Amino acid sequence: MSNTAIKVQNLVKNFGKGDSLVRVIENASFEIQKGEIVALIAPSGAGKTTLLMMIGCVLEPTSGEIWLGEERVYGNKWVAKDTRKIRREKIGFIFQAHYLIPFLNIIENVTLLPQANGVSEKISKEKAMELLKYLEIDDKAYNMSSQLSGGQNQRVAIARALANNPQIILADEPTAALDGERSVSVIKMLKKIAREQNVAIITVTHDDRILPYCDKIMKIENRTIVFQDSDERII
Amino acid sequence: MINLARRDIEHTLGKFVVTAMGVGMLLGIVLIMIGVYRGLIVEAEVLLDDINADLWIVQENTMGPFAESSRVYEDFKDIIYVMRGIDKSEAMTFQNIQLPHKDKPVRAVAVGYDIYGKISPINPNRLIEGRELKNDHYEIVVTNKSGFKLNDKIKLGRNFYTVVGVTHKSVYSNGDPLVYISLKDAQELQFLYSNKEIQNNTARGVKNSDSVLVNAIVATVKPGFNINEVANEIKKWQHKSVYTAKEQKEILTKNLVERSSKQIGLFTIILVVVSTIIIALIIYTMTLEKMKEISIMKLMGLPNSLIVSMIVKETLILGIFAFVFGNIFSHLTYDKFPKLVVLYAYDALLLFGVIVVASVLASFVGVKKVISADPAAAIGG
Ligand SMILES: Nc1ncnc2c1ncn2[C@@H]1O[C@H](COP(=O)(O)OP(=O)(O)OP(=O)(O)O)[C@@H](O)[C@H]1O
Ligand SMILES: [Mg+2]
Repeated sequence: MSNTAIKVQNLVKNFGKGDSLVRVIENASFEIQKGEIVALIAPSGAGKTTLLMMIGCVLEPTSGEIWLGEERVYGNKWVAKDTRKIRREKIGFIFQAHYLIPFLNIIENVTLLPQANGVSEKISKEKAMELLKYLEIDDKAYNMSSQLSGGQNQRVAIARALANNPQIILADEPTAALDGERSVSVIKMLKKIAREQNVAIITVTHDDRILPYCDKIMKIENRTIVFQDSDERII
Repeated sequence: MINLARRDIEHTLGKFVVTAMGVGMLLGIVLIMIGVYRGLIVEAEVLLDDINADLWIVQENTMGPFAESSRVYEDFKDIIYVMRGIDKSEAMTFQNIQLPHKDKPVRAVAVGYDIYGKISPINPNRLIEGRELKNDHYEIVVTNKSGFKLNDKIKLGRNFYTVVGVTHKSVYSNGDPLVYISLKDAQELQFLYSNKEIQNNTARGVKNSDSVLVNAIVATVKPGFNINEVANEIKKWQHKSVYTAKEQKEILTKNLVERSSKQIGLFTIILVVVSTIIIALIIYTMTLEKMKEISIMKLMGLPNSLIVSMIVKETLILGIFAFVFGNIFSHLTYDKFPKLVVLYAYDALLLFGVIVVASVLASFVGVKKVISADPAAAIGG
């Protein structure tokens, strides 16, 4: 059993064709280990979301290879038959906005995906309550998302991303909508999750304050991926 | 599994119910239209059912007495009566008349019958006040919708008629109210020439026949005899057109109400199509409103089947709600229409089937939108 959670090789992504061709990623290769939390930083428009969406099997790359754990999901075309099944079973997404389903209450939002994966209502609810407790939001389990604050909703979104026991969490600026203190607490939480549940996390961020909590810092420079060791790490 | 459709509906219940009520009213109108059609058929058959004759003997080569005018001699009933297999036979008249009423005359169809005869056109079950005719002259039985009441005096021709009985729901196939008068009075109103005219005719050498005319002879057939055979026998020997009760009904429904029923049928189909389009549009906008959530669900990896079933279920629930409202609406309003509206559970059920199919069809636009939704669109690139 290898410890690699994500492996990307010679990944290329272009948008458009001919005159309107946009080269976003060229020949990116990297590996991320289980239990690691990696920050992805780059200027706006550099391709951070594009990269996450390719790893998340949402956006089809132009060429290259992607492994998620042992499974080769992309090799110049989708190798995985059902990319949505991979997302459902292996990946948790967190975004800048919480994107909770407004017509479901908090616990239903968290249990939706596990139940779609065939987990019973009872077990998925127990697990969801555990997660909500862990994220200190269990008292709102039966509220609607519109009754919660931004930070509370973001914690629910994290609980939702964790509910299907993902091997990978892809977070696109998860703290952008939060104040400094909240951002740090969210990133600490993600770090704890990475360590405790052996989950690989990539988090896009523009916030320097959270970089010290990450194991690695990944950058997009000249359309490819480079790593930078974080200077002041907190283990 | 969480019932997404139910949760979504609960979340916007007020809006959903109001929408369903709107569509429901449309479906209610569809039900009323079908009811109007049913009413036409029922009304067309009231008179035939009340007379309940097996055979209608009318002027040769006519489709009388309702679809074409027909004249036969009254005493012909005696010839029919002695024919093999005939149980009873009577003469009857049917004519359009105007009954003078306070401000505006009432158009009605008068049925003339022999008050001593064995076949009465007045169905005793319909008589709600008074009695049938007892005297040969100047008595009339009216239906309540005609606007006259018991003991009213109505001037017809040169004489005043007294209302001696009131029936309900007695209508002619065109919806006009039915009134009943004695055969003698009816013949006088329909066929009697004034003295002056008789003088003129005599002067011109035209003979005024003494025999008295009616519009049709109705007869019943003794048990054990085949109605069609008896009818053929009469046709063969008496040079008359003969219709069985079934044929007469066909003449009435085919010839008299067919065009109106086609009109209504087409109108109903258009209404159903319009309802389907409206449901489809509603579902489409409801889906558009949820596009963000749908993209998120797709991005998270929820299978299409789950999202599609949410849309289809919501459409079906909308259809069912609308159907229930439509039924409530039609039952609240149907008796306020001037013409008979008959609501059959069978028709409602049929419409229910159509609505279910239409709802599923209507949900296709939403489903298509779901399938084409881009999960990456959820987060705006
Ligand atoms: N569907 C698309 N079609 C064409 N070009 C696209 C598409 N999606 C993204 N791009 C382009 O790809 C590049 C990278 O976009 P991306 O959204 O990944 O940037 P980003 O690093 O996430 O930026 P931000 O920090 O602003 O979120 C941009 O130049 C963008 O215009
Ligand atoms: Mg982005």
